[in-house]
Amino acid sequence: MELEEAPKQHYSEEEKQNIFNNEFMPHIHSMYNFGYRLTLDQDDSKDLVQDTYLKAYRFIESFQKGTNAKAWLFRILKNSFINDYRKKSKEPSKVDYQEVETYYNSEEVDRQITPDLRVEALKDMIGDEISNALNALDVDFRTVIILCDLEGFKYDEMAKILDIPIGTVRSRLHRARNLLKEKLSEYAKQMGYKTT
Amino acid sequence: MSNSDQSHMKQDCSNKRECLEMLQLILDGEATYEQKEQFLKHHLDECLPCYKNYHLEMKIKELLKTKCCGGQAPSDLVEQIKNKIGAA
Repeated sequence: MELEEAPKQHYSEEEKQNIFNNEFMPHIHSMYNFGYRLTLDQDDSKDLVQDTYLKAYRFIESFQKGTNAKAWLFRILKNSFINDYRKKSKEPSKVDYQEVETYYNSEEVDRQITPDLRVEALKDMIGDEISNALNALDVDFRTVIILCDLEGFKYDEMAKILDIPIGTVRSRLHRARNLLKEKLSEYAKQMGYKTT
Repeated sequence: MSNSDQSHMKQDCSNKRECLEMLQLILDGEATYEQKEQFLKHHLDECLPCYKNYHLEMKIKELLKTKCCGGQAPSDLVEQIKNKIGAA
């Protein structure tokens, strides 16, 4: 994380405490949810969130008061996750970074325009189906859905949090949603819905 | 979703790729006012696959928000962080 890239601010101890309490701490629940969705473990999530907040405090002078604290914090958490947690994981990333051009070939597009899933089936998914489907996605796909659909970040904010171009945000999000729909239609089939 | 007047709608979209991209922009609040007007008020009235897709995507987005958000951070975590910062 390039925490030092912003022009350094100078805050008094009191200002630091104010920023921390009023601009950083209000995001603790979203941060915990993000950490949990990434690690899928409550203890790991607590560690990750705590590390992130301590780092945020240590580098607080890289944060410009009044700018987007939530995006700044999410970026630190995402980078801590990659550096500290993902390395430990033995499972390699399975994401194949196809770009928009190859992904929108005509065969794919034909399939996507008539998805194998109906709104009616979703209405019966009142338990953990949605959450489980999300958690089952590869972490890079899961991440864009969390940032966009759960947390409401805009594409340009996601690009900054993830250090990728906006075009990649859009194509990854598109692929992530199609994968999520595939999972959900598996559940729909199990629930007895015809999906054709 | 109303099913009453779908008979006049096209069964196949003639502009699939552009529509899929537009649908995503609208879903995520990234489309312009004109794009939204064109897609939501004109195209969805006549194109059945896009009409269905739009409602499906909206429902999934809504479900993600209601089912996967809203958890609270454990109170001991909040306390730990405050203690460590207070002592820093």
